Amino acid sequence: MKISYHWLKDYCNHTLSVDELSEGLTNAGLVVDTSAPVGDDFCLDVEVTSNRPDCLGIMGIAREVAVLVRGKLLIPDVGYPAIAENIESETSVENEEKELCSRYTARIIKGVTIGPSPEWLQKRLQVLGLRPVNNVVDITNYVLMESGQPLHAFDLDKLEGKRIVIRQASHGETLEAIDGTKCTFTSDVLIIADSKKPVAIAGIMGGKGTEVTETTKNIFLESAFFEPRNVRRSSRILGIKSDSSFRFERHVDPECVDWASRRAAKMILEIAGGQILEGVIDLNCIRRKKTPVTLRTAKLNRLLGIHLEKSEQREILERLCFTIISEKEDSLEVSVPSFRSDVYREIDLIEEIARIHGFEGIPATSSIGVKLNPDNKLDRVVERVKGVLSGMGYDEVVTDSIVDNMQDRHTGLWSDSRSIRIINPIRHDEDLLRKSIIPNLLKVKKHNQNHGTEITRMYELSKIYLRKDNGELPDEKECLCILGEEGYFPLKGMIETILHRLNINHVLDSLPVQSDLFNPEKSAQLKLGEKIFGYIGELNREIIHHYDFRSTPCITELDFELLVNMATLENSYHKAPSFPTIARDLAVIADEVITWAEIKGCILSLKMDYLEGIEFFDMYRGKQIGPGKKSIAFRLIFRADNRTLRNEEVDVCQEKLLKTLENSLNLRLRS
Amino acid sequence: MMQERLVALQSQVKEDLAKAETLNEIEDIRVRYLGRKGAIKDIMKAIPGLPPEEKSIMGKMANKLKLDITGEIEAAEKRFSASLPPSSDKQGLKSNAQETKGTFDLSLPGKRRPYGHIHPITQTINEIKSIFSKLGFSVEYGPEVEQEYYNFDALNVPQDHPSREDFDTFYLDNKLLLRSQTSTVQIRTMKKRKPPIRMIAPGKVYRPDTVDARHASMFHQIEGLMVEEGVSFRDLKFALTSFSKIYFGEDIKMRFRPSFFPFTEPSAEVDISCSICSARGCSVCSHSGWVEVLGAGMVDPNVFEAVGYDPEKYTGFAFGLGVERLTMLRYGIDDIRLFFENDLRFLSQF
Repeated sequence: MKISYHWLKDYCNHTLSVDELSEGLTNAGLVVDTSAPVGDDFCLDVEVTSNRPDCLGIMGIAREVAVLVRGKLLIPDVGYPAIAENIESETSVENEEKELCSRYTARIIKGVTIGPSPEWLQKRLQVLGLRPVNNVVDITNYVLMESGQPLHAFDLDKLEGKRIVIRQASHGETLEAIDGTKCTFTSDVLIIADSKKPVAIAGIMGGKGTEVTETTKNIFLESAFFEPRNVRRSSRILGIKSDSSFRFERHVDPECVDWASRRAAKMILEIAGGQILEGVIDLNCIRRKKTPVTLRTAKLNRLLGIHLEKSEQREILERLCFTIISEKEDSLEVSVPSFRSDVYREIDLIEEIARIHGFEGIPATSSIGVKLNPDNKLDRVVERVKGVLSGMGYDEVVTDSIVDNMQDRHTGLWSDSRSIRIINPIRHDEDLLRKSIIPNLLKVKKHNQNHGTEITRMYELSKIYLRKDNGELPDEKECLCILGEEGYFPLKGMIETILHRLNINHVLDSLPVQSDLFNPEKSAQLKLGEKIFGYIGELNREIIHHYDFRSTPCITELDFELLVNMATLENSYHKAPSFPTIARDLAVIADEVITWAEIKGCILSLKMDYLEGIEFFDMYRGKQIGPGKKSIAFRLIFRADNRTLRNEEVDVCQEKLLKTLENSLNLRLRS
Repeated sequence: MMQERLVALQSQVKEDLAKAETLNEIEDIRVRYLGRKGAIKDIMKAIPGLPPEEKSIMGKMANKLKLDITGEIEAAEKRFSASLPPSSDKQGLKSNAQETKGTFDLSLPGKRRPYGHIHPITQTINEIKSIFSKLGFSVEYGPEVEQEYYNFDALNVPQDHPSREDFDTFYLDNKLLLRSQTSTVQIRTMKKRKPPIRMIAPGKVYRPDTVDARHASMFHQIEGLMVEEGVSFRDLKFALTSFSKIYFGEDIKMRFRPSFFPFTEPSAEVDISCSICSARGCSVCSHSGWVEVLGAGMVDPNVFEAVGYDPEKYTGFAFGLGVERLTMLRYGIDDIRLFFENDLRFLSQF
């Protein structure tokens, strides 16, 4: 809301400079965004919150200033002389929609002379950025800016039947608005009509056909209260916004409707001449009588943490034009003026007093006391895992949950259900909630490659969104997605390191997986115990080609919640062993179909004494071994808890083990 | 014949090791016997040419020999390193000097290991979590896909409030929406627990704003809530002033302005003196010297009613802050899009 510094002084005597005024209003809750000189005046742009429609007129703001400077609000006199002829003899108004238009007033001014407004008036409008039109139109705008009450002047002689009907539009009725917009109505828009056709969109804009022009002689002056929700709806449907609709949407003061009409009529008389007919048409069905509100002195002090005497509280309310109906020892009964539609509860009065007393006056000291909370497990696991990833040189990224349909072109890893779609996206091609983080990391890699970073090691720990049926909240799955450049085994090793760091001892199984994201040979579904833990794989050649990657990224997406559930953060202590180990390195030749998991499983199934560890260290294929075969080298570590093992004991174990491997998996020791 | 060679080899190794005086000499022995052109390799190469009955026996023997020699060399190494205190390693020093002969350029750069960076948004959230945990605030999380009830109704947002319109909130094809504020977690927490409550809720929120240097359709907020008997606006000022002084520094100036939010009353917007221009006025603070950093207020009684708390018994304060905004102010970052572009040259600065 723009206001003029000089104009404001009409209603409140103050000596504040522009800066002082700006600061005072800002501290009272009316933020002055900017103040700029316009000619010899200043234009202040005041940010009025949606609960304060009373400040959408300069007088409303002056009322606040008067409270701040403890001054008096000066209200212009609206008395005017009228001629004997009564308005009822000249026009009539019929209201078919009392719910949507709860008050409608009309005045008639005859014999006006249309011309340019006087210079002072034009200047004031110009400070606010309004374009002067003619004296009558300028006056309606002036009073709108002054009081916050929108007005409309019709050319009485262009109203068919010289009467007004407030009604719903008929389907297909049309109107050309003053700004040139051609509207075709649906039946649920409230319009102002004459006896035949629409002449204005109620509360939003008048029609071109009945506007005041140089030839206008007689004025029909409308001032009304239109229901806020309906004005907002119509304004959106028609795509028309105006200074009027802005104010009606936010609730105008029903008691100001007639005052503004008188004010405008009087100004028209003074500036454009003519005569005002006796009387007013005032169809007023506002029965809302505001109920008084009780304010408990102690409640206010408790809530704000201050000590304000009842008399001080009372004084602030009175400065705000609230009326004290009665006073008890510990409370006040307050009547709220009609322009404060936002105040109807005790808490609203407390806010008013706090606002005027000033938040600065509330101390920032406290005795809230100690409260201890254990850290939650999720946060602790996150910290550990990110610690591992940082230590390994991986950067954390954060990408958007809203994605394009790239994800639907590939196999869904976690779910085959449809992506959740946004009905009102900003970009119509980015309207899905992600079902995987992988495509996002690929885009980040691409961005970095384009900007000269060839090697990207990164991860994101964030949610994916999997649809559930029946309007239930979706499964928001916390996933850890890691992109590496060193291939499958180093990335898998990283996962193993994370598991180790979280003391998760479940077997990590890697099962073949079908997904067109991955190289079919070098990808797996990972399982921890019986549960699906995630997916890992080098990227499919087509995807590498699609993104034009110059490396072969390997990527994994893991169920982070499973990690959190399985993690043990409190380690237990084991005494370091005091006897030495004996290590045996073996190389066995196996058929290609035999996996390391089978070999290891076979060894473990023997449950051999002294066997402390099995470590894979090499795989070899070559002509010495022959086609369809591979050599697998590993180390066995033996140790006894209570003595030094002898080589002969280990020999026995090793023999037994080799025999079993030969019998069950057809492995031969490589010699 | 080969068997004899093997036995001889084993005793030769023992002899050599006994004579060795430095770790370097032991290393030489390793190369001589176990290296790629070493004695053992030679024997291994000869095995395939042996008659079949000898082949497997010799193979096993040769393997055993290899393991034995390896073991003895390792044992010898261990003996050496244990017997020589690192600082008085005269043998080692002498041989090192011979090895390098003054060619060691001390000024060459060190070999760095890569270290990963935590995203600046995460860092800010962690820092805020840590500050509020000192005041006894726990961390809560809630869903991003929400029902209107939690995003609006329970927060006292009127049915016809503009924030509900589709240019302010993303609506989904399953009759749900993307939360436009983390205040939803307030409601979820209060519905789950009884007072006293002190919590913060960090998380992603979404709004259909056209993306530019100051707006993103996804960003992060932290919601805070404290509800107990007797909590006052004074406590609110204390908590937020304490936070700002720790996060922005002791010298920061603060301003609490009356404002309006449907879910708090009285409501305040909190400004801090602009750190970019030291409050002299710049484009970041629109030349006012102040920047808005958070919104706050006393929980509206209607919100307590919605979650089944007695507003006569309990009072509380709530606040919300924008993580990106705070991070931008802290580091002087002028474009919010940098956070989600994830250029590693940007991320590695934090």
